[in-house]
Amino acid sequence: MEVAREIYWNIGHGVVIPMCILAFTAMGVICWGFWKRLPIWRQGKPLNRIDRYDERVKRMLSDVFSQSKIFRVTDGGIFHSVFFWSFLVLFAGTMLVMFQADFFTPVLQVNLLSGEFYKGFSLVLDIAGILAIVMLIGLFIRRFIIKPDGLEIVRDDYLVLQLLFAILITGFLIEGARMAATEMQQNPALALFSPGGLLAGQLFTTMTADTLLLSHKVLWWLHFALVLGFFCAIPYTKLRHILTTSANAFFAPFEPKGAIATINMEDDTVEQFGAAAITDLTWKDIFDADACTSCKRCQDRCPAATTGKPLSPMKIIKQIGELAEGNPAGNLIETVTQDALWSCTTCRACQDVCPANIEHVNKILEMRRNLTLMEGAFPGDEVKTAVNNIEVNGNPFGLTFAARGDWAEGLDLKIMGQDSDVDILYFVGCYASFDRRNQSVARNFIIICNAAGIKVGILGKEEKCCGEPVRKLGNEYLYQMTAAENIELIKAYDVKKIVTACPHCFNTLARDYKDLGLEVPVEHYTTYINTLLQSDRLRLTPEAFSYTYHDSCYLGRYMDIIEQPRAVLNQAGGSIREMDKNGYDSFCCSAGGGRIIAEEKLGSKISEVRIKMATDTGAPLLVSNCPFCLTMFEDGIKTGGAEGQLQVRDLAEIVAERIAA
Amino acid sequence: MKLLVCIKQVPDLESRFKPNSEGVWYNETDLAFRMNEYDEYAVEQAVQLREKMGDGCELTVLSIGPDRVVEAIKKSLAMGCDNAVHVQDSAASSKDPWQIASIISAYAKDKGFDVIFTGMQSQDRGSAQVGVTVAEQLGIACTTTVVGFVYDNGTITARRELEGGIKAAVKLNTPALVTCQLGLNIPRYPTLPNIMKAKKKEIVAIPVADLLNEAPLAATTSFHPPAKKGGGIVLEGDVGELVDKVIAILKDKTAVLR
Repeated sequence: MEVAREIYWNIGHGVVIPMCILAFTAMGVICWGFWKRLPIWRQGKPLNRIDRYDERVKRMLSDVFSQSKIFRVTDGGIFHSVFFWSFLVLFAGTMLVMFQADFFTPVLQVNLLSGEFYKGFSLVLDIAGILAIVMLIGLFIRRFIIKPDGLEIVRDDYLVLQLLFAILITGFLIEGARMAATEMQQNPALALFSPGGLLAGQLFTTMTADTLLLSHKVLWWLHFALVLGFFCAIPYTKLRHILTTSANAFFAPFEPKGAIATINMEDDTVEQFGAAAITDLTWKDIFDADACTSCKRCQDRCPAATTGKPLSPMKIIKQIGELAEGNPAGNLIETVTQDALWSCTTCRACQDVCPANIEHVNKILEMRRNLTLMEGAFPGDEVKTAVNNIEVNGNPFGLTFAARGDWAEGLDLKIMGQDSDVDILYFVGCYASFDRRNQSVARNFIIICNAAGIKVGILGKEEKCCGEPVRKLGNEYLYQMTAAENIELIKAYDVKKIVTACPHCFNTLARDYKDLGLEVPVEHYTTYINTLLQSDRLRLTPEAFSYTYHDSCYLGRYMDIIEQPRAVLNQAGGSIREMDKNGYDSFCCSAGGGRIIAEEKLGSKISEVRIKMATDTGAPLLVSNCPFCLTMFEDGIKTGGAEGQLQVRDLAEIVAERIAA
Repeated sequence: MKLLVCIKQVPDLESRFKPNSEGVWYNETDLAFRMNEYDEYAVEQAVQLREKMGDGCELTVLSIGPDRVVEAIKKSLAMGCDNAVHVQDSAASSKDPWQIASIISAYAKDKGFDVIFTGMQSQDRGSAQVGVTVAEQLGIACTTTVVGFVYDNGTITARRELEGGIKAAVKLNTPALVTCQLGLNIPRYPTLPNIMKAKKKEIVAIPVADLLNEAPLAATTSFHPPAKKGGGIVLEGDVGELVDKVIAILKDKTAVLR
């Protein structure tokens, strides 16, 4: 006898019409709920995030169904992902049952849900149901018993967990009731393929047949009502993330990471810059608040939040959502607070880890732009001085621009103004030009290039700050002024390739300057040296050393350059001891986002926290690839009491010492 | 109400100064220029008064010098000045304070300015004479080194900084001239809309010959770095020996042990 089960057993096919009506009503409630939210999102400025439709759909499907962004963080992520897949299987199974009952059987007169397939189907769905329940219990314990730091508990959390739990339990109870009346008696062998139902069925074995049938009917309707409740709750509770977070995977930007809208300074009709109100943001910025699930992963990673500064990326997203919904005319910057905005190092850890594709950093930058361009505000007087210095002398130190190339005295390189026949233009940057510690990096980079037979040119006193710190502080005007001068200069020398030893200069020249018309290829010295090694133009005599490596934010997270510097260091004889937070999970040194020119007055020192992570590896050497990081770590080693225990050096210094004779 | 603020563009003090070929002033190669620091306080105070007085008030900024001084004028306009005058003079640096003051007063004499603001002194020449001389030439009241400024109905109440940190309060009736000192205010950073607006404001250019009829009274005869005296000495070695060396030096070169 081929096994199967009777669909709508004890309920009757007459239920199809009312069931459909109710289901469509629930769908209507969902649509209505989101329709009512549309005006909230539409308060934002327009932004095209529906171009390249196919790619967006593909990305969304892969993001959602793979759950890769969710289980990247195992805490909570594993439970969520397994629950999602289990629930998906249950949903698909229910859909299959529906198609079987209302399409395959009446129209095609075939029964898919029979025989061996039915057995497998039943087993898979039961296992999915059991897994979903186990995951829910895990999520429940995590949220209500373990209570991870910073995880808020709100009304929705109780509601959603109870609702999902009730749906799953009633599902098994219906199955159990049906099985108690049918296969547990008639075909116990088949019942083994429904382990969950078999277990639940034990509750019904002592019932009279009438009570059993009635219980089954009541449970069926209860289960159905709960499912309808689940659908109806989607737009009004955290469950909305099922749609909004998925949609955010569709709406996510295609621009290179770190791309910032370049303000058109020629347009003198614009009188408002940056964001001071909800309406100055884009619709996507507001939508992001609806996509946020308050998982607080951003907050856990934020170097500012974890060192006691008044910034939580999650809180900012929430505040935007609350203003958009409850007080659209409210002052955005007052709500978020200046201290929170200035605390951001733009390290991108929040955005990188966000499973909902929320764009935190540019919102902060837009608000900073408002503070800087509309209010002339600064995080501190020292920053105002540094910005003035950049205006006057093209560097934040206020040292004379005429001395910018002095570090290069006696080295084998060319000053572009005198001879521009070079293989690469080395864009030195302010720190390597003026800061004694970082001048060593510049000199060593030249030594490396010399050894590889590369003709290097520098702009010398003609070079100016790339503009990155001021841009990240919101001063788009000064950024564009200095950038324009650099670009004009570089273009005039017909440069073939630019190499920088600073990830901030690198990001700015390679990506941001494109918007202002610079098309020359730009490379960071770590990959450049790696290529020289690979192509055998540069040869090293390895000398063993143990090290830990700091991925600077703007090289790792922003530019995906993670392996190459390690390859170079390993080729130089290094054996790495990774810090827990490395690669994409690296922890900022504190100096990004223009913070390099600001004093760290709030909370504890980020650099000391990072130095602690480095000393915890036991390695005596910390290798960096960024002048800002090097500066912060030299400082952090001294103030954090790690002198004698840890030394920080730049990759170029390590390599130059090992050049083969 | 009419206000005037006089500004000078000076080299950044971090620059490397070299005497020019005549040896009477600095060579401008490799110098970065900016607004004289004290003049920034003057502009800020003038703008604050302008904002307080509202629409009936008009603030003019004036600067004397070559074309590069337009940058400083633009900054003043972006900070909030209404009008600008550029007295074109490519040889301004060779003029003495009397001549500079005469140019300003020649411009201001028939304009009826109620308050004139200047910096206490310039960061490069540092004569501190221009402001007071202008007041004298115009025959108006003047006070210097102002660190506090209140204007009320034709009367200025100013706080002055004297030697040793002592403060003095003075009252003077307009028309008057004040020279501004560090501590008076914190100059604002121009906002972008104001920078944009400033770009459209007209800068009236006046050739210096139209305003100057005075000969210099004090000519600069030489501009040179101070003669190198003996540099510092770094002593190294055993502490006992170091003590002996220090005592020997103190005996030899100073009077403290005699």
